[in-house]
Amino acid sequence: MSLDNDDDNPSLAPPSITTSSGSPSHPHPHLPTNAAAAAAVAAADDLTPEDLIEDEGAASQDFRAFAASLSLSQQKQQQQYRKTPGVSAQTIRKGEKDFESHGTRAQADALEQSRGAMREVLGYTRVHPAPAAREGASAARACNNNRGWYFPAWWEGYREGGEVGVGGGNVDGGGFGVGEEGKEGKERRPFGFVRERVVVLEGSSVASQALGRAVTGQAKERPARGKDWLLPEEALYLVERGSLDLWWPLKALGEIFPLDRTAAAVTEGGEEAGEYDLGFPLSLQAAYALLIGNDGERGKISLQKFQVYSNLKRCGYNVLRAPPTRKQPTPASSRPATTTLWQWFGSLLSTAPNHPPYGPLVQPGLYRNYASIYRQLALLPRHKPSPSPSSSTPTEPFTIHYHIWKSAQKWTKLRHPPPDFYLAVVDAQQSSVPTLSEIAPLLGATPPAPGRPEWTGPGRLYARLKHGYRNVLVAVVDHGVINYMRFAGGGGGPMLHKLLSIEEAGRPDAGAGYCDERRNLGDG
Amino acid sequence: MAASAERQVRISRVAGRYLVFDIDDVLYIRRHHGICAVLTGTMPQNPTQNLFLSLPVELQAEEAQLLVDKGAGYIADELNDHLLRLSTMNDSTRSAYLQHIKQQRRNAQRVFEEEKAKVQARHQNKRKANRPASPSSAATTTEPAPATVTEDGDSLFDTPKPTPPPPSLTSTLKEKELPLPGVTPTTSYPILPAITSPASPASIASTNATTPSFYPLYKYLNSRGYYTTPGLRFGGDYSVYPGDPFRYHAHYLANSYGWDEEVAMLDLVTSGRLGTAVKKSFLFGAEKPGGPQQSGGGDGAGGVRVFCIEWAGM
Repeated sequence: MSLDNDDDNPSLAPPSITTSSGSPSHPHPHLPTNAAAAAAVAAADDLTPEDLIEDEGAASQDFRAFAASLSLSQQKQQQQYRKTPGVSAQTIRKGEKDFESHGTRAQADALEQSRGAMREVLGYTRVHPAPAAREGASAARACNNNRGWYFPAWWEGYREGGEVGVGGGNVDGGGFGVGEEGKEGKERRPFGFVRERVVVLEGSSVASQALGRAVTGQAKERPARGKDWLLPEEALYLVERGSLDLWWPLKALGEIFPLDRTAAAVTEGGEEAGEYDLGFPLSLQAAYALLIGNDGERGKISLQKFQVYSNLKRCGYNVLRAPPTRKQPTPASSRPATTTLWQWFGSLLSTAPNHPPYGPLVQPGLYRNYASIYRQLALLPRHKPSPSPSSSTPTEPFTIHYHIWKSAQKWTKLRHPPPDFYLAVVDAQQSSVPTLSEIAPLLGATPPAPGRPEWTGPGRLYARLKHGYRNVLVAVVDHGVINYMRFAGGGGGPMLHKLLSIEEAGRPDAGAGYCDERRNLGDG
Repeated sequence: MAASAERQVRISRVAGRYLVFDIDDVLYIRRHHGICAVLTGTMPQNPTQNLFLSLPVELQAEEAQLLVDKGAGYIADELNDHLLRLSTMNDSTRSAYLQHIKQQRRNAQRVFEEEKAKVQARHQNKRKANRPASPSSAATTTEPAPATVTEDGDSLFDTPKPTPPPPSLTSTLKEKELPLPGVTPTTSYPILPAITSPASPASIASTNATTPSFYPLYKYLNSRGYYTTPGLRFGGDYSVYPGDPFRYHAHYLANSYGWDEEVAMLDLVTSGRLGTAVKKSFLFGAEKPGGPQQSGGGDGAGGVRVFCIEWAGM
């Protein structure tokens, strides 16, 4: 994960983490057949199904082991502020558990130790390195790369240019001072969600390589030009992991980011200008209070969505908000004429013969192959997946909220390939299994994703089926516990697949008959 | 217990969700009220893993309700409290808060210094061991050690101040020489009032509105000393533990039904099988209509009846 330059062990990098917070399913929302995920699979293979079944995640954490791994040689006092580098996933193991209480003191002691260790580990206070003191700069003006300011109303009136995103060059190239009307010839940037951005970063830190966005095309007199602005989930995630020092401003933005550097020196003249004149640091609690809100509130994010976001970020994925859905110009004609496997299947079976109202399904006659017999046996017309999505728009909560990329070197926040996964976030208590009218637009909002070419042939039918023609991930959140499921539209009919659950991951290929049956269920 | 019974847990309501930020509160409800709930935050010491998570703890609505009913906690609307306090902060709270932060920064600074001194000492010991002592090297090595000691002495002298005095001129000057590390405290304790006045029935009433229908079953299990976690992992309403989940495996996978609700036989079979497959038995229960008032015996059961189903696998 590119964010980590100091405190993390490379062995903790994305693929090696095999259990998400307590879900028996796998945090990696992709199939194990992916070559890139070979490492992940290897790691997952260490876990027996038994492990996965008994994995009770957050509830079964033994903080004693974790505390021990964190504090090999530290005293209690230090542990409150100090982090130890190089804790590998191997050392974080869960402890042994008992079946029930047998009233012994040993058991009570073990429990008390666990609680004590939890107290120690969670009693940590996030510390940010002291700002580099520069000559002639007061403490308040010292460049503090970790600091971010909460300005919720700054972009309230901003209108995002067009549907595609604002025109403009790269981050620094926006010195036009004209406004953001589309300039032709400029590269298209991803949708910015500028109105939602509420925290401005003071300097460019490692974090801003993957998070935040500078709003280009601003007038020169606007303060804080070229600074990175964070979305609420990005800011809160950074605060949580101890990479951002969020401050509450007491002054206006223009005073905190003076237009010319000399102004800083002038105000600094007031000797006793304390470092808290401009504002003061906020706590984690305050950050939650200010950044978590209900769905649809500007500049906030719902707790469920934030939990999913940070869960994925901890796994090392790159996550961005999905741009608002827009009507796609149906590019049906522009589609290349190559027929995919599914289309071929479809064409094979869609020429349904007319059945007489009575009599045998298979007309008596001479047959030289099975295909013509099967064709007559097919009573229901098979759905043919079409590359152009359905016209209806998805409804909450079954809309795509996040685009997800596997971690890659060349991924940047402005330039990235099409996402690897599309994700919707739903609450376990407030929603039920989506109906066809909910899931069809959801699937329609994802681009067609025909399976891999190597999945052809009868042996890989299950892989094809699982992948579907389009697929979308749904994260189900139950009070902090997250489960990822994959809904795949196989041949167009939606089907439910719990992603990589034990049964499915371990189930032998059930054969064509079984799979066909499943697909037919989804038809029509 | 008597002292701890007076403890009032601050349950932060943020956008309809219930969070606890204070580690002491978390341990308190875990010890005394059988509520472990779910840790949801990123662990700052080790932020790229999902196995061990950190504060805040997210409570289920029924857990928050139970704490309020027991008089062990109160619900605070975190956004309103913060906005109100942050925008109209008087000088005394502000300086108290800043002093609190400064104290933590000094502590952190001290820890870092101590560590640095220790590392230096170790380094020098190694060098000393490698090289037979020559007079010049001995002079250089002994020199830094007393310096760090005096610094330690300074900061140690600073910390025991019981009540934070108003920041004096000298102290601010001293800090300018040595830039302190910044801190992000977990709770905004000095800003917020210690306990909201008991006259906050509005917030409590609004929890009642959102209490899910399985509150009676939850309360019943809790009163029997069972711990529960959200049941999503095993496909029920709750996973039920015979004690603190730190020590024990879950025994049951629980679902709540209405008293007269028809339960599909297939549901029972499904859940029974599922529970058995993960070595838990499937527990389901319901509250008799008008339960606690009519049949509320001293056992705290109210009118709740529960049953267990296991897959016979014949």
